[in-house]
Amino acid sequence: MGPLKKSTGLVGMAVAPNAHHTLGSLYGKILRILQKMPESAGYRKHTEPLIRERAAVLTQTKDVYELESKINCGQAEELIIQAENELNLARKMLNWKPWEPLVSVPPKGQWDWPPTKS
Amino acid sequence: MSFLLKRTVGATVCWGRNILNNVKTPVIVRIATKADQAGPQAETRPTVAKVDPLQKLHLIDFGKYVAECLPKYVQKVQLTAGNELEVLIPPEGVIPVLQFLKDNHSAQFTNLVDIAGMDVPNRPNRFEIIYNLLSLRYNARIRVKTYTDELTPVDSANDVFKAANWYEREIWDMYGVFFANHPDLRRILTDYGFEGHPFRKDFPLSGYVEVRYDDEQKRVVVEPLELAQEFRRFELSAPWEQFPNFRSNPASEEVVNPADEKAKQ
Repeated sequence: MGPLKKSTGLVGMAVAPNAHHTLGSLYGKILRILQKMPESAGYRKHTEPLIRERAAVLTQTKDVYELESKINCGQAEELIIQAENELNLARKMLNWKPWEPLVSVPPKGQWDWPPTKS
Repeated sequence: MSFLLKRTVGATVCWGRNILNNVKTPVIVRIATKADQAGPQAETRPTVAKVDPLQKLHLIDFGKYVAECLPKYVQKVQLTAGNELEVLIPPEGVIPVLQFLKDNHSAQFTNLVDIAGMDVPNRPNRFEIIYNLLSLRYNARIRVKTYTDELTPVDSANDVFKAANWYEREIWDMYGVFFANHPDLRRILTDYGFEGHPFRKDFPLSGYVEVRYDDEQKRVVVEPLELAQEFRRFELSAPWEQFPNFRSNPASEEVVNPADEKAKQ
């Protein structure tokens, strides 16, 4: 184990007592939800490798500081928040099914700029 | 670890905007590609905004990423002014798209900077609702645009961003766009008992009522507007074309356009 982490230096953000365990379980949950999406879904194709990569880094490292520098996306506590958000999003994505074809085509001239006369 | 939006501070070389040059390109739709970066044209005028090619590259990548993740909701992705990414969506997609941009690992647009409205009366859906988002993690901004008309409600973004509460009240007050599931949709900027939506193009500049202090009643009275000039019918539009330069040189560059590709097939 490396040096003990005493503070995150961010107001209102307490040090996570067992960041590796928390992150591991969150990434596991996200991956399990992603399994329920179709293989061809763009969201799954992009998110799954990213989460797997982070989960792999998690198993390679023991120290929190080493983990943070390897993932390079903020402190472990911030990573936990990001993972919680992603989990929340993935659950909602299952209901929205955003991999389906476009829900409605814009009316003609809707996105033209500058707008034409008449 | 590769992220779409890199946390870079910018490169030294800058290229000018095509729009500001006098050279007229015959192309109608300009498509933003990474090959765009090849034509070096150093911008020397100090007052002209410089476009960072590296940042533009990341924005194009990110635009494609959003379109790929949410093909159900993204109608078009475009770049305006060289470095402003815009995602154009149908009103059904407001909550999914905003939630995705807020919560996804590679986006993290956690700040809602503003919601703006726009009124273009000659369009079938005359109002545009524009969400400006900021990602502190990647130092990036994105703009999400959707449309509606006077009667169709748009889903409130209040569930995703708490900041949307007052911004949506502003839009409701100024344009009369109704937001479904908003917890507290009231007027916010206009006076008590105000009627109408002042930012609509058909709202008269002088308003409908005038306010004065009445000496006899010893209070302020509100009366219907009376103007000395009886027939007020001004033709404000100029007879010439307002933006001839934009005819062959549109303000935005296309990144992806799934809606148009569907129409072609």
